[in-house]
Amino acid sequence: MGHTATAQAGSGGLTATEHRLANGLRVVLSEDHLTPVAAVCLWYDVGSRHEVEGRTGLAHLFEHLMFQGSAQVPGNGHFELVQGAGGSLNGTTSFERTNYFETMPAHQLELALWLEADRMGSLLSALDDESMENQRDVVKNERRQRYDNVPYGTAFEKLTALAYPEGHPYHHTPIGSMADLDAATLEDARNFFRTYYAPNNAVLSVVGDIDPERTLAWIEKYFGSIPMHDGKQPPRDGTLPETIGEQLREVVEEDVPARALMAAYRLPHDGTREADAADLALTVLGGGESSRLHNRLVRRDRTAVAAGFGLLRLAGAPSLGWLDVKTSAGVEVPDIEAAVDEELARFAAEGPTAEEMERAQAQLEREWLDRLGTVAGRADELCRYAVLFGDPQLALTAVRRVLDVTAEEVQAVAKARLRPDNRAVLVYEPVAAAEAEDNDDAEGTDQ
Amino acid sequence: MSDAAVTMDLHPQPQPGEARPWAFPAPERGTLGNGLTVLRCHRPGQQVVAVEIFLDAPLDAEPEGLDGVATIMARALHEGTDKHSAEEFAAELERCGATLDSHADHPGVRISLEVPVSRLPKALGLLAEALRAPLFADSEVERLVRNRLDEIPHETANPARRAAKELSRQLFPASSRMSRPRQGTEETVEGIDSAAVRAFYEAHVRPATATAVVVGDLEGVDLDAVLADTLGAWTGDSAESRPMPPITADDTGRVVIVDRPGAVQTQLLIGRIGPDRHDRVWPAQVLGTYCLGGTLTSRLDRVLREEKGYTYGVRAFGQVLRSDAPASPGGAAGASMLAISGSVDTPHTGPALDDLFKVLRTLAAEGLTDAERDVAVQNLVGVAPLKYETAASVAGTLADQVEQGLPDDYQAQLYARLAGTGTVEATAAVVSAFPVDRLVTVLVGDASEIEEPVRALGIGEVTVVTG
Repeated sequence: MGHTATAQAGSGGLTATEHRLANGLRVVLSEDHLTPVAAVCLWYDVGSRHEVEGRTGLAHLFEHLMFQGSAQVPGNGHFELVQGAGGSLNGTTSFERTNYFETMPAHQLELALWLEADRMGSLLSALDDESMENQRDVVKNERRQRYDNVPYGTAFEKLTALAYPEGHPYHHTPIGSMADLDAATLEDARNFFRTYYAPNNAVLSVVGDIDPERTLAWIEKYFGSIPMHDGKQPPRDGTLPETIGEQLREVVEEDVPARALMAAYRLPHDGTREADAADLALTVLGGGESSRLHNRLVRRDRTAVAAGFGLLRLAGAPSLGWLDVKTSAGVEVPDIEAAVDEELARFAAEGPTAEEMERAQAQLEREWLDRLGTVAGRADELCRYAVLFGDPQLALTAVRRVLDVTAEEVQAVAKARLRPDNRAVLVYEPVAAAEAEDNDDAEGTDQ
Repeated sequence: MSDAAVTMDLHPQPQPGEARPWAFPAPERGTLGNGLTVLRCHRPGQQVVAVEIFLDAPLDAEPEGLDGVATIMARALHEGTDKHSAEEFAAELERCGATLDSHADHPGVRISLEVPVSRLPKALGLLAEALRAPLFADSEVERLVRNRLDEIPHETANPARRAAKELSRQLFPASSRMSRPRQGTEETVEGIDSAAVRAFYEAHVRPATATAVVVGDLEGVDLDAVLADTLGAWTGDSAESRPMPPITADDTGRVVIVDRPGAVQTQLLIGRIGPDRHDRVWPAQVLGTYCLGGTLTSRLDRVLREEKGYTYGVRAFGQVLRSDAPASPGGAAGASMLAISGSVDTPHTGPALDDLFKVLRTLAAEGLTDAERDVAVQNLVGVAPLKYETAASVAGTLADQVEQGLPDDYQAQLYARLAGTGTVEATAAVVSAFPVDRLVTVLVGDASEIEEPVRALGIGEVTVVTG
């Protein structure tokens, strides 16, 4: 790697090569011999946005099934073999993709490739009802643990449902609903695999202490005979008008520890210069402990226990700027909301100061250095840019693009997008547990 | 099995190549003129440098009734100095692209700084300022106290946090600091002011009893010069380090249900205390605990998750609470928390606990298999180069070693000792770590649904407390 402090703004000396097998599998390789490890990352171009009505959560449930064995790998063999080789592994599902990854000691790289190829080519020969029923229960417990049984746990799901209209491919989140998880059948899972799990719908990246020629030969050997197929339909169109045009709002009465104001602003699609400008705007306003909202609400007004902005970058639909403020004891939401609106309006009118730009760019630069600082992080980013934007090389220059953005561009995106009529708002009002349950029953909420 | 035809060419499972040697990095240890211990470690390619500071300011040094003063002090260190106001300090730090976190735990206060190497000198200057000349202004401390009070209800509402708090209360005698929340309670935090924070700082923060760990790509950095200008300028007197009080716990087998009406899951935390890393049994305990509940192919998840689907995952672990090198052989030792944690759906709480205890009984009766032991060793040793790829992970482990009075080569030696640990030793260690009749079971869940089925299991007296 050998990049110097000043080369950070560029690709940091990192390089990547691209290849394509005859069956359409795209391959990205990047050498780095500093540590004897190699990361394998496989992105399938399928996420929750491809799911159809009544089958939300299927992409994620299917991701679990990918760890339940394939033609030559019995039961939990995928986990057992990787961990037994000193590797670590997992898979995740988002709106726009499903990824699988193994980080291996370099001398065990071939095993990871063999395992990924075996399930890409032969999963259906092992997939059965027992796995399906078991993983359905596991995923329902995942949903309970991560969302249903924690305070504010379903906020993201609620905000997403508000911010993207009914019928929009991003209206529901990847975890899916309990009812749909219950309704999914083994045949649904088989069809899902036949439709989306094809070499020509995937990108494989291998990063680290590798011999590129030998790695490519292994990839050809293990993946090369998997037939391509074109069953996939493009996802439903996710484009929306640039702004919502009105303020959407929902008040949630639940057994939560404090009032909260959350909001989702509709922002530019990922991959655009405007998305980078929005990232900087949100960082100045609500990233870290020197941001405008933190200074105003937590330090000066002392009305919030925490206040910040996050950016959910999306390529196939507008991105989301996610505001999260938890109030201090006794503070009412309208007081918070007025202060937030004032800060956003001031920012839109004045734009960032030179010092704020410097701080925000330095923060985003460090985040990029962190992400590219491990072989697994680099492998994931190469796949991301290959799948979503058609060019893995963009991963290596992403930080330069963030540093190129001007204060005027940051102001422009704030002015156009960070407005009350371009957001979905979620207000939490705490009530005792028993009361909250009654409300749920009254609304017929799925518990 | 379905008969879906396989249309690809199948190849036999490949064999591994030749492993490239890797060793946990050896730090270089030194002492600055002001008595500050410095560990440094060059990691080529790691452009984000990690700095860990350990301050010998343990929680049991907090004055009676002021639980949480160490936490407030740790946070207040970087909320205003002799050169920068609180807002200016945060702004300067973020201008470096740095992150700074500080927290107080039983052994002392830890501060973690991460910053791109090009801005290390400036960030270290800010860190030194926070250590050397914190303002502890009345208004900032008051703000931090109120902020902390606002955080407490959020922690209480979180099932995992609530379970941890209850387990500590159950295990340790009321006189022990360990029985009470690390960051204080509403009653104690309320009483903290800037005078108390300053007094704690003056009594326990000084370079002579502190350690700095610096890890990253340090080529081209004159670290000695940078340190001399920054952390080297911090002054203070010398002090004896406080003796660590013995740690005792009541692990009489029993069940405590923290009632959460309507909860869709039960958070479970089953624990007791056990030996620390100075004990010879540690590597065997690590190995055995991994076999019991280290991953989803370990014994617990093989049944609870992959066979029954009761949970998203249950883990067994050992975590050092506080530890120091014994003053004499067999002298006072530290302790670790040994625990099993996870959450299970409400209707299956009884059956899940029943299965969990069955797994423990079977393990005690039949022991681990050689195959389990081998896979565990291969994983624990094999993942080391992955686990320690970043500067932050190396710095964290080196600072843990300092905090626990372990030699700088402890982690490196641990891998050799793990590889030399047999199935019989690993079995003995995990069975004595998790004896079925000496475990305190905390369940955060709906008592009206789970109390009766849990009573029926006979795993100890059951009491119900309010959420």
